[in-house]
Amino acid sequence: MAVQTAIATPAGQAQRPSVWSRIWQNDAPGYLFLLPWFIGFFGLTIGPMITSFYLSFTNFDLLQAPQWVGANNYIRMFTADPKFSASMRVTLFFVVFSVPLKLAFALAVAMLLNRGIKGLPMYRALFYLPSLLGASVAIAILWRQIFAGDGLVNKLLAMFGIIGPSWISNPNYSLWTLIILSIWQFGSPMIIFLAGLRQIPQDMYEAASLDGASKWRQFVKITLPLLTPVVFFNAIIQTIEAFKSFTPAFIISGGTGNPINSTLFYTLYLYQEAFGFFRMGYASALAWVLLALVGLFTAFSFLTSKYWVHYDD
Amino acid sequence: MPSPLRRRTTSIIVHVLLIGASILMLYPLLWLLAASFRPENEIFTSASIWPSSWSLDAYFRGWNGLRTGFGTFYLNSFIISGLSVIGNVLACSMAAFAFARLDFKYKNFWFAMMLMTLMLPYQVTLIPQYVLFRQLGWVNTFLPLVVPKFLAADGFFIFLMVQFFRGLPKELDEAAQMDGCSPWRIYWRIIIPLSMPVLATAAIFTFIWTWDDFFGPLIYLGEMRQYTVMLGLRTFTDSTGESDYGGLFAMSALSLVPIFLFFLFFQRLLIEGIATTGMKR
Repeated sequence: MAVQTAIATPAGQAQRPSVWSRIWQNDAPGYLFLLPWFIGFFGLTIGPMITSFYLSFTNFDLLQAPQWVGANNYIRMFTADPKFSASMRVTLFFVVFSVPLKLAFALAVAMLLNRGIKGLPMYRALFYLPSLLGASVAIAILWRQIFAGDGLVNKLLAMFGIIGPSWISNPNYSLWTLIILSIWQFGSPMIIFLAGLRQIPQDMYEAASLDGASKWRQFVKITLPLLTPVVFFNAIIQTIEAFKSFTPAFIISGGTGNPINSTLFYTLYLYQEAFGFFRMGYASALAWVLLALVGLFTAFSFLTSKYWVHYDD
Repeated sequence: MPSPLRRRTTSIIVHVLLIGASILMLYPLLWLLAASFRPENEIFTSASIWPSSWSLDAYFRGWNGLRTGFGTFYLNSFIISGLSVIGNVLACSMAAFAFARLDFKYKNFWFAMMLMTLMLPYQVTLIPQYVLFRQLGWVNTFLPLVVPKFLAADGFFIFLMVQFFRGLPKELDEAAQMDGCSPWRIYWRIIIPLSMPVLATAAIFTFIWTWDDFFGPLIYLGEMRQYTVMLGLRTFTDSTGESDYGGLFAMSALSLVPIFLFFLFFQRLLIEGIATTGMKR
């Protein structure tokens, strides 16, 4: 539009466009195109965030007007709520084990695929498929069946003479079935790793192998350092996703988080409080603790990243 | 330099490893498919992925297994996913056009705000949104699931499109401007037609994710005739008391078919989308 204006009012002519018409010409189109997003941003994000922060200090139950209870929700959470601490433990355990294992698998398979092998597109597609299907209820149902007492895993173990436990109903193993499900879906970080590996110049490896560096040394000294931005990216995305994971735990435990709260994900507990008991105030407080946790994690990652993430520039 | 023989051996080992891993990855899915075609009494005795005899019984039983048949659930899922695709592509591309191709005051500030929302766990806005939609009388309708898509609520797709739009030559807009094109015409006649790859990627992922979504329908849809396929599946596990496993597996397999078809036809596009932008799952 700026060009057009300049042509319409040639230099030397005294007629200056008014402030309003300048705004209309320059800024209005941008804001008009953003209008749907603005409505969503204020109506569905900022407004609800402020409301939810307020509600977290009330005993709102959806039926009566919220009553201010101060920091009670937060105090109860940290001092008198065993389910809160259980769900926090379960979620942290899940994040700490599923994310690094998933990334390790993703990187290992990406390295295998990055050798200029035949049939790369086929392998890549096959390994990616479970990730794409992953969030589905059908997959969670399948998983519950695979790890049931008379399920597929135990049938396979029986072929080797091993009597497996009933994974789903044994609190020692139930969370691990969910971790295995999450690792099974290593496809999308794998594809991002593959794209990252492509960027590494091959002549670096040639030079290194001329110097007699072993494959392992090449991996530690060349591949890993050059891949750290991708590792960092994948780790952040996957961790945030792991914190938010809901459907598999809900389906596999029938919405309870049992046995003995061993699959009570934080999100599942929040759902129970909000939509099972209609303790909307308390659930809002839970949500803010989750936000603080994810925020802390992200901030920590970004702060420490300068010590281990290498950008070549 | 490694000898040709050694090269060959390594290559064979790699392929064996990869084929083994592929089988391990796909085994559960193939078993699910097989279980849906098996006679009922064989489901729990066989770990094989080849039924001893094939039967479509489970599909007929499953399809009518609930008061409201799965036909209704499929229709609902298609309506919700279809509207979500339209909403997401339209609203997100408009916002992305503004961020990538237009100049306006405080643009960088709003762009940063948009990026911030990508990090926000949905639980933080969940309860007030629910209260809002309840006050609007939208609970037990599709509106809470669809309207946010028309308001570009998933900033991730805006980001994806901004990346793509920025790559288009700036001269296009300038030439069009000289010819007196309005921003709307530039968006609609130039940018959109040139952006089919990214729009298709966004459309496909929107469809798959909406199709898969369990949490949204769980909260907002209370009546069975409104249920989506995912809610139907969950209800099926509850209401049949887990007795009709054949039907459950048949419906589970059927629920994956649309995703699988998209995967089959747009595999390349999906994988490029992931590789260049880092999709979530």
